Amino acid sequence: MALRWSRWSPQLALTPALAVTAIAFAGSIGWTIWMSFTRSRRLPDYAIDPAEWGRQYNRLFNDPAWALSLGNLLILGIGSMLAIVFGFLLAVLVNREKAGEGVFRTIFLYPLAVSLVVTGLVWRWMMNPSLGIENFLHQLGWKDASFNWLSAPETAMYGIILAQVWQSTGFYMALMLSGLKSINSEIWSAARLDGVSPLRLYVEIIIPMMKFTFLTCAILLSLGVVKAYDIVVAMTNGGPGQSTWTPAYFTINAYSIRSNIGFASAAAVVMLAITLVIFLPIVGLTAWQTRRRADRA
Amino acid sequence: MTDTIATSPVMYPRRKRKLRGSTIATYAFLIMCALFFAVPLYVIIVTSFKTMTQISEGEIFSLPREWTVEPWFKAWNTLCTGLECNGIKSGFFNSIQILIPSIAISLILSSITGYALALWNVRWANGFLFVLFMCAFVPFQIIMIPLIILMSRTGFYGSYLAVAIVHAILAMPLLTLIFRNFYKDIPQELMSAAMMDSGSFLRVFVEIILPMSGNIMVVVLILVITSVWNDYLVGLTFAGFSAQPMTLILANAVITSRGEVIYNVDMAAALLTAIPPLVVYFGLGRFFVQGITAGAIKG
Repeated sequence: MALRWSRWSPQLALTPALAVTAIAFAGSIGWTIWMSFTRSRRLPDYAIDPAEWGRQYNRLFNDPAWALSLGNLLILGIGSMLAIVFGFLLAVLVNREKAGEGVFRTIFLYPLAVSLVVTGLVWRWMMNPSLGIENFLHQLGWKDASFNWLSAPETAMYGIILAQVWQSTGFYMALMLSGLKSINSEIWSAARLDGVSPLRLYVEIIIPMMKFTFLTCAILLSLGVVKAYDIVVAMTNGGPGQSTWTPAYFTINAYSIRSNIGFASAAAVVMLAITLVIFLPIVGLTAWQTRRRADRA
Repeated sequence: MTDTIATSPVMYPRRKRKLRGSTIATYAFLIMCALFFAVPLYVIIVTSFKTMTQISEGEIFSLPREWTVEPWFKAWNTLCTGLECNGIKSGFFNSIQILIPSIAISLILSSITGYALALWNVRWANGFLFVLFMCAFVPFQIIMIPLIILMSRTGFYGSYLAVAIVHAILAMPLLTLIFRNFYKDIPQELMSAAMMDSGSFLRVFVEIILPMSGNIMVVVLILVITSVWNDYLVGLTFAGFSAQPMTLILANAVITSRGEVIYNVDMAAALLTAIPPLVVYFGLGRFFVQGITAGAIKG
């Protein structure tokens, strides 16, 4: 009895997790994909009209707000890459000068514990044109200073990028630091003995050695950017106009404001597709690493 | 920070001669960056203690001329969201009531699943791990609508439990992978001995594995606390009107409020919302760093 029980209980213990995966992930994704081909509005309608199955996607890609959202996604993605560059730079410097490493790490990392809503609200306050940093610069005597980024459609995305970089740099610094620390210490002393300049050491040896850390960071960042929602709500709530909409914002809006399940589902499916495109390199990478490990063994 | 500069040549006498200038430049740069990261926290703190009269003069970086704690009381008790003015305190207690079941479900579900996948021969374990890995990165929007419908049909929608369950669902893949990666390093001999001794799946878990998991439990706990407390989207889509978490009430109060904006109260409310995860961060920093990097690097 005990033996039989022990053989079955691991499978039994997996049941909840399997059920969650099957219903909340696989099933729900399938449901949403199905819905994106229907004419569902406020309530789900399961009938697919074979002549018009692509209707929601047609509407989606003809919607100027969606085009704008995709454009903003690209801007946000490229702009947020600053967090990786900045994070790497900080990691290198913190790693070089061991004294004070703990203090600096604590300061660089704490924004990560602050929610994006609070981050957005604080930066919104600092970018307030009449009472914020702009006003401070004016009082200092720099009359042309403009830090009122959020109220103009052309610059609002940069404001969001700034807040995003402030919040996430510490995370990439932490990843880069653990990458730097895993590099063999002999490389550093060999480079010092050979008199290699620090710049050459980093550009020609360290960065190529850390290319997988960089790739991991880039993928995590891209996946995070696709989900960008809270920060947009907190800083601009999509405005001015629709100038800071992102796909995540668009999808929630299509569901909760326009109450259109079919349309929101189509937008969500495109979000999933973008995620998969970003995700493919990491799958390939894992496969490549496993093969390399197998070759070595 | 000045004394860290002073001590560095003492700690690294060999570098003293060569790198003096670059060391100073490095620290200057690091301190500037530290200011960039610290300034928002400074601004939010001083603003929350200023009077509105001083705020309207527009000196955002100046210290409060007269310190007042009134904004904090207003934020806690009478901050308005829409038509109601009940302060942010209801959100605080809502967040607590979401957090507790969420922690319980997440820790139990993920640790047992991770344990089964790491140490027992279960069929298709690797296939399942790969599926979990994919699920960990799926955007929330693709599963949101069916989950809302499911929660409405079962009558959970708008309750603390609904928000907690959705959090547990979203966290399950990543947390399971973290537990699995931790448990798979447990030596096989230990497992064999444990099997001989008691042999049952649950007894080995409770008597041998759990006592060894203190470290990883804290890491996961921190991950759950910060992500649940800082969440906005799940609260927005599953909490209805009665179970709104603190971030949601804060955002509603600050963003959708009409009329005169009371900045010091807004900033006090934002700070009150940010305090619990910041306490966790400053109190358990080492585990915090492990937590946020654990999921990322192991993948």
